[in-house]
Amino acid sequence: MDHETIERLIRLGLYGTAGALLVFLWVPLVVMMVLSFAVNSSTLFPFEGLTLAHYGATFADSGLIGAMFTSMAIATISATIATVLGVLASMALARYEFPYRELYRTLGILPMVIPGVIFGIAMLIYFRTLLGIVPGFWTVVLTHSVYGLPFVLLIVTSRMYTFDESLEEAARDLGADPIETFVDVTFPVLAPAIGAGFLFAWIRSFEDFIRAFFVRGTANVLTTSMFSMIKYGTAPKMNAISTFIVFVVAVLLAIAMNAGDVASYVADTDGE
Amino acid sequence: MGDSSSATFRDRLLSREEVIAWFDSRRRSLGITAGPALVWLVLLLAAPLTFMVSVSFVNVNESYQIVWQPTLANYEALFAGGGPLFQRAFVQSLVLSYAIAAVTTILCLVLAFPLAYLLARKGGRTFKVVIFLVLLPFFTMYLVRAYSWYLMFGPSGVINATLLKFGIVNEPLAMFSYGVTAIIVGLTHAYFPYMLLSLYASLDGLDYSLVEASRDLGASRTETLRDVILPLTLPGIISGSLFVFVPSLGAFVTPRFLGQGKVLMIGQLIKDRIGSLYAVGYGSAASMFIVVSIVIAFAVAFRYVSIEDLGGI
Repeated sequence: MDHETIERLIRLGLYGTAGALLVFLWVPLVVMMVLSFAVNSSTLFPFEGLTLAHYGATFADSGLIGAMFTSMAIATISATIATVLGVLASMALARYEFPYRELYRTLGILPMVIPGVIFGIAMLIYFRTLLGIVPGFWTVVLTHSVYGLPFVLLIVTSRMYTFDESLEEAARDLGADPIETFVDVTFPVLAPAIGAGFLFAWIRSFEDFIRAFFVRGTANVLTTSMFSMIKYGTAPKMNAISTFIVFVVAVLLAIAMNAGDVASYVADTDGE
Repeated sequence: MGDSSSATFRDRLLSREEVIAWFDSRRRSLGITAGPALVWLVLLLAAPLTFMVSVSFVNVNESYQIVWQPTLANYEALFAGGGPLFQRAFVQSLVLSYAIAAVTTILCLVLAFPLAYLLARKGGRTFKVVIFLVLLPFFTMYLVRAYSWYLMFGPSGVINATLLKFGIVNEPLAMFSYGVTAIIVGLTHAYFPYMLLSLYASLDGLDYSLVEASRDLGASRTETLRDVILPLTLPGIISGSLFVFVPSLGAFVTPRFLGQGKVLMIGQLIKDRIGSLYAVGYGSAASMFIVVSIVIAFAVAFRYVSIEDLGGI
């Protein structure tokens, strides 16, 4: 085989695998979306026609919608805590040398890595058996605030490392005091990263099932409600609420990607 | 705190110079920045995990009270079987979970590499669209993604129904029923983006003139891949594998939906014991096997990559 043919075959192979992968990522979700509008809600064939009834039933389910709002409240509070703690910790990591710095960083990244089952159980027995706290809304918030921290930490530190500190020096030289420097120079540069970190922490909390499952007590969050819907088979509402979530996430992500360079925060450790 | 001191405190807050002077101390700035997260992580991460480790070495009585006496009973129960409920399943689950996590990791690596390579070479619009298409499933609820595969698989699932409909097969294929295959597919789908993003971060920083130089100097494509591209992207490969292997090992939702009781992974086993029986001693001891695996995996990984390379997620 000559050089040209090999080049073409390699390119074909690369694009082929890449394309197949995107199909693999999307097919089950697309099927689920189609089923959410189909009368037959569990499998494509035999196809019995289109309907919006599943959506009607879903949004009329006050328990499910209530759980969704609980999840949103938990996500918002826990992501806020994670963002405040994460931004402060990022500054310490990026600006100061201190003893056990690497240990500190590892501890900060650990919640992201430790499997949900383990973290959930550790939190449950800690709250219930050691501290004697009855699990509920706030134990989920606390658990998720720890879970969200690494996402903020990673995104904001990577931004801080690429931050040009001479900008701050210039501001100081030009007469700005440290507070003005922070508000007018440092914060605007970090803001997109902080926003992306918050978004990450929010989504991680909102979508978490297993940690919430252990520490929720009697509080119902969206994922645990969804889980009990499908525990014993498919449910038409599950397709509808899932499709709705995919749609909302798509809109949020599109906005975020156009507003700030989310892709580079997510995919690029070097920042720019 | 008396009235006078709180007034002084308010004055301090109002005085800009004083605030600046206060923050000027390096020790105070460090305390303010590093302190809150440290307190949080010690109280809500280190303490719970330490407590879990200690619970795995003590007995818990019928009223869920801990009897503080060191014992290895929990660990013995894992292997010997402590009653009909707890028999044998543990070792089987553990081995199976390692195998499933390993296959998933390799599959993710092989599948993600070409796409990561293309993304790193292409920029602009294509990149944005493709990364959107990859990130969207990634940001979508994990539960939803596992559920979407639950619809695809199964004897009367979408795959089998479609094959039957178009007369490709005459009866449902076993490989598209729930089981180990379905779990591996579901886990690959779930954690693939971690691998892709880690590889992309590495490949994006790769200096392609090195690849060209290698080719110019007469190395074949496979040699270039083996001797230049792979060594330089090793940090990405390692961190990506870590981020796929570790959560796969402790997976619960995916094996629950896609195994449908035929397969019991370690995460399910632990969840069942604690969730329904509150067998904290047994659950903690079983968890230790995952925790120790993670520690070993990280210790190995850190020989090749620094913790900063673990970013990008």
